[in-house]
Amino acid sequence: MTTDLVLFWVPALVALIATLMVITRKNASRALIYLVVSLLAVAVIFFVLGAPFAAALEVVVYAGAIVVLFLFVVMMLNLGRSSVLRETRWLQPGMWAFPFILVFVLAIVMFNVFAGSGDETKGQEVGPKAVGAELFGPYLLAVELAGFLLLAALVGAYHLGRRYLEERREEAG
Amino acid sequence: MTALQAQALLPYFVLSGGIVVLLLLVAWLRSEVVAFGGAVAVLVGALATVPWAAQAGPQLIDGMVKIDGYALFFLALFVLTAIATAVLSYRYLGPRAVHRQEFYILLVIATLGACVTATAAHFAGFLLGLEVLSVSLYAMIAYPEEAKPPLEAAIKYLVLSGAASSTMLFGMAAIYLANGTLAFGYDGAGLTSSDRAILALGQAMLLAGVFFKLSLVPFHMWTPDVYQGAPAPVAGFVATVSKGAVFAVLLRYALASDLLDTDALHAVVVVIAVLSMLGGNLLALLQTNLKRLLAYSSIAHLGYLLIALVLAGAANGNPDLGVETGLVYLVGYFLMTLAAFGVMTVLSGEREDAEELDAYDGLLWRRPVLATVLVVAALSLAGIPLTVGFIAKFYVVNAGVAGAAWALVWALIVGSAIGVYYYLRIVFAMIARPADGVDAAAGAHWEGLVTAVVLGVATVALGVYPSAVIELAQGLAP
Repeated sequence: MTTDLVLFWVPALVALIATLMVITRKNASRALIYLVVSLLAVAVIFFVLGAPFAAALEVVVYAGAIVVLFLFVVMMLNLGRSSVLRETRWLQPGMWAFPFILVFVLAIVMFNVFAGSGDETKGQEVGPKAVGAELFGPYLLAVELAGFLLLAALVGAYHLGRRYLEERREEAG
Repeated sequence: MTALQAQALLPYFVLSGGIVVLLLLVAWLRSEVVAFGGAVAVLVGALATVPWAAQAGPQLIDGMVKIDGYALFFLALFVLTAIATAVLSYRYLGPRAVHRQEFYILLVIATLGACVTATAAHFAGFLLGLEVLSVSLYAMIAYPEEAKPPLEAAIKYLVLSGAASSTMLFGMAAIYLANGTLAFGYDGAGLTSSDRAILALGQAMLLAGVFFKLSLVPFHMWTPDVYQGAPAPVAGFVATVSKGAVFAVLLRYALASDLLDTDALHAVVVVIAVLSMLGGNLLALLQTNLKRLLAYSSIAHLGYLLIALVLAGAANGNPDLGVETGLVYLVGYFLMTLAAFGVMTVLSGEREDAEELDAYDGLLWRRPVLATVLVVAALSLAGIPLTVGFIAKFYVVNAGVAGAAWALVWALIVGSAIGVYYYLRIVFAMIARPADGVDAAAGAHWEGLVTAVVLGVATVALGVYPSAVIELAQGLAP
């Protein structure tokens, strides 16, 4: 097996294992940690395929922003007496050991990519400029439509969320 | 983008620009009348620009969307449905939600999504259009503020529809892997046998997602629950526009990619059509809830509609006649379904929807006009002559015979025979004179009443004089 196949299959396997762990965990915050690992593995695959910009976006937007937002919400819900106990439990090795091993494997892959001659990444490198030119060239209509998709989600979330907020306000006042 | 392309896109610009203006108006004024009036004005404006856009001729824009007669036909159909839904919702939402302005914004966004879906010539347009439609629908279904059933229905729809969308995305990825392009057309000559296997797998997954959205057996489980929980006018919108948009893009994709030339996929579509026609009608038999009954009946109707797809897409088929059949059938289905949900909306009380069949006992003696509209809708759904439902059914039988798809024709005949039983049950319940005398009519809801009557009259008018819609639908094959 050649190097580039190994560089694809190892992160792909990590992504599969991590995603399986996401859907089989019963504890939401545990599942989310595996989701971060899964997204990082996909980012490594993007990088190896010659799309460093997509890889960076995957890390920044998905693993960085969206899942961390999820984690915050899950952790902030049910702030009660048991929360201190729960946080102690989160610090035990069972919580972070296996995700850590998976991320370590990914780190080895990335190290090999950087330490190698540079031929490991396949295909033409697609940078931010090329992505931007595509998005605001042939895919302009798609970008505008995605804007309306977000607008619909925003208006819907605003309406549905306000009901909850008003209930909370009535309870408080 | 050339001037001609901009002209072709004009109705879509009116819709999307209108949404932004509407949003700003609502943010400033917080007035329900302004939101409602603005939404109707935007929709009417989009409709008014259709003839102008049609003059630009078929335009493929960035390989993403294709604005042709077919797309504009669906735009007009969806926009008219949205206007009817807005008018029906105006009085209906009053007691159910304190803040009602956003509903009209969501309605226009959903319409834009449906119209774009019908134009798609590329998977990006397909998926984005469909998601714009679906995301607005989740919020529209959950819109009433106090009641729990709409919220439950919206969550069911959100989860299941999300699963269907991801199946579709996976299918699109497989198709891209085999074809090397996300555009609908394909070059069969350049494919190796392993490419063909991946392509067929992708198309099968795509079809599974599409059939879910069309609620065909065995992907139909969500339909009765979602219809039952959704507010009545929104349920009518889900039953018509969301299914019409998905069917439009399915037909377009099937024609562009020779989808049904693959024998296995052809067989799958035929089996699913037969299962839907028989299953939908059998499951509707014992329903005592009008919303659930209409849900199962819509499953059967979408099964009938697949006959048009089979004729249009099959290797020995007739695309022109198949597309014409699909369009005529959809116009009929839209009219009679909206008429039924319209009557239900007008009859609904301040809290409960008039969904149990008991609520319709002796309706003819209490609300003669509404009852007549519902009788017309039920007879049309059953396919009785002099209604548009008969013309639609005649077209699909004709399509089945033209394509020599005898299994489909037999399933259609058996299914329709079963269907007559439960449609007539609605009619008989309404004309039975109530034993305990006639109670007075409930409060007036004149704009809803007018909408229901217009839909009922159109159902009969197009049944008597069908060439109005047939001439429009002819020669529109994408």
